[in-house]
Amino acid sequence: MAKALDVIKKKRAEAVGKIISKGYLSTKRVYVGMATCEIAAGSEEVMEVFRDAVKQKGLTDVYLSQKGCAGRCNLEPTVEVIEQGKNPVRYGQVDKQKAAEIIERHIKNGEVIEEWVID
Amino acid sequence: MAYEYAITICDGTGCIQKGVRNLRQALDDELAKHQLTDKVKINLSGCLGMCDKGPVIVVNPGYTIYGNLVKDDITEIVTEHLIKGNPIARLAIQEDFMYNRFFRVFGDAKFFGKQMRIALRNCGIIDPDSIDDYLALRGYEALAKVLTDMTPADVVEEVKKSGLRGRGGAGFPTGLKWDFTAKQQANEKFVICNADEGDPGAFMDRSAIEGDPHTVLEGMIIGGYAIGAKKGMIYIRAEYPLAIKRLEKAIKQARANGLLGNNILETDFNFDIEIRLGAGAFVCGEETALIRSIEGRRGMPRPRPPYPSVSGLFGKPTLINNVETWANIPVVIMDGAEWFKTIGTEKSKGTKVFALAGKVVNTGLIEVPMGTTLRQIVYDIGGGIPNGKQFKAVQTGGPSGGCLPADYLDTPVDYESLAKAGSIMGSGGMIVIDEDSCMVDIAKFFLEFTQNESCGKCTPCREGTRRMFEILTRITEGKGKAGDIENLQRLGNMIIKSSLCGLGQSAPNPVLSTIKNFREEYEEHIHNKKCRAGVCANLISYTITDKCIGCGACKRVCPTNAITGSAKNKHTINQDKCVKCGMCFETCKFDAITKL
Ligand SMILES: Cc1cc2nc3c(=O)[nH]c(=O)nc-3n(C[C@H](O)[C@H](O)[C@H](O)COP(=O)(O)O)c2cc1C
Repeated sequence: MAKALDVIKKKRAEAVGKIISKGYLSTKRVYVGMATCEIAAGSEEVMEVFRDAVKQKGLTDVYLSQKGCAGRCNLEPTVEVIEQGKNPVRYGQVDKQKAAEIIERHIKNGEVIEEWVID
Repeated sequence: MAYEYAITICDGTGCIQKGVRNLRQALDDELAKHQLTDKVKINLSGCLGMCDKGPVIVVNPGYTIYGNLVKDDITEIVTEHLIKGNPIARLAIQEDFMYNRFFRVFGDAKFFGKQMRIALRNCGIIDPDSIDDYLALRGYEALAKVLTDMTPADVVEEVKKSGLRGRGGAGFPTGLKWDFTAKQQANEKFVICNADEGDPGAFMDRSAIEGDPHTVLEGMIIGGYAIGAKKGMIYIRAEYPLAIKRLEKAIKQARANGLLGNNILETDFNFDIEIRLGAGAFVCGEETALIRSIEGRRGMPRPRPPYPSVSGLFGKPTLINNVETWANIPVVIMDGAEWFKTIGTEKSKGTKVFALAGKVVNTGLIEVPMGTTLRQIVYDIGGGIPNGKQFKAVQTGGPSGGCLPADYLDTPVDYESLAKAGSIMGSGGMIVIDEDSCMVDIAKFFLEFTQNESCGKCTPCREGTRRMFEILTRITEGKGKAGDIENLQRLGNMIIKSSLCGLGQSAPNPVLSTIKNFREEYEEHIHNKKCRAGVCANLISYTITDKCIGCGACKRVCPTNAITGSAKNKHTINQDKCVKCGMCFETCKFDAITKL
């Protein structure tokens, strides 16, 4: 009988493989808060903007994921943009317009939009 | 974000003892020397849990952890790592704790950097709907470790040794509870996760489940193995639809991956989990009422003993723990009891999640090491009181807890210290109160809740909380009498002593603690018919002063036509007609209306 630890290691390797095949190693990873609190603050619309950009508008090299609540109640909805080798950028109070701007300015042009950053 | 590097300096007790604060000075000097001060952001963190390798600093991006540092190392870190971009292998320590991942994404933000995330370690960094995300971060490895290397007794021993205590409110030692349940001989046993979360304003458990449902499942499966149960239930209120959906999905994924069901991870251990929905009654969070509710009976508590560990669900030995308690289990197993014990205070180990709300700049969900002071939470993490207002009190423990005034701000959060100060840890509600809140009104708010939620089974709770609520209502309406305070205290103490369950036994706490710490406010209400915060409508009156220029704005907004006066002449308010709505006060542009 295989040991449970060996079984889990195999499962982990498979899981990592699946995540990578979904594009985890893209230059930019974008996480949108999708807990009850975030959704109440309007994050579903924000997610839609990012999804649309990836699926319809040909935005490439981006790994898009939902995430739970990190705990910044008064600054929700929150979005993180993470790039290898750079400090992670966390945006707060993101709405549809801001999401569109984050895509244009940050994701496409590499500009960190300082005034929305949670510090 | 003009900075290029973010350095987190561990400012926990262990690192302070090892001289980390001298390093801070050296770092500041070195950065200034190289004109890097603007390019490097420095954060002080709470204990990072690496005390034996202290002093510790973390350099981001890259999440390089440097340990055992001396002053000269700082020079090298600045010149080699920060300027030339080469992390220094000789000084780096390889510490891969379960919680570390969170800090890779959030550690350089002040709000998060002061925290320590054990129960919420994955919340906000993984996709909660993806078991792959959980597995990738060593999910279910604790379960595998337990099934491979540990007997059930070993698991119980490890949890005991960790010092973990129940996070649902009472703080009972988790390992001891596991031990009692494990030692029972029975043909069937149950594991329950209490996700009822009935405290008004609390959302810790909901967020934990919505952010990382698998950790709760993993904890429960380990619990089942430890006590010899094959079946687990999650009791969660129907008002949490998203949390329920995520749990359902997680259970399905776990089953599909051989992590629930028969022959878990190809061993001969079988265990499965079901969800039971509650209708959202506060009393159903009490363990015996919860068990009855699952059994399909009316959710009412019964006297203990027998405790659920002896006779619980369907009369079988039952291990019941809170969501947050379960979420700690995988970390206790993976990082070990020896490590877990190093976090926190003598009798309260690990971290506690709080829902920080009320009059504080940064409201949010936080997790801090036990022993963090209320002041650190309110000011360092919470960012203090907004709009330049004065801090008045902090309320912990929700309807079962108490209000602590400024003198108690240096109280460390742990079970004993908070109880000694006159409040309780509770399940994690924390409300900051400023000068604009009336303490009598706050006590009344909580009592209104408990008297509504009292199940009615025992007289002290059913009748007593009602009587207390009536007295409080009178006081806030300006009809308080001499002796009311003493009556509240007498009733409160009686209810505490004679109620059947924890609901009644703790319901008077908000009243008793505000009487103890803010007695003068009660006396003002009763004797001077005055509410200093200007909250109790019957005790305030609006008057127009000589600053009035007779513009008529107040007259136009007054809904009861209580204001009279001709143009350009001072107006007056007819107190008999005034309903204290405050519209005139807010409308006046000339500060000519006073609220007293
Ligand atoms: C009125 C009342 C409400 C309670 N509500 C909850 C609750 O919502 N969640 C919870 O975990 N424990 C609640 N408890 C505590 C439970 O009875 C029990 O102590 C707890 O679930 C045990 O788990 P723990 O040891 O992990 O904290 C409540 C107790 C009382 C008296």
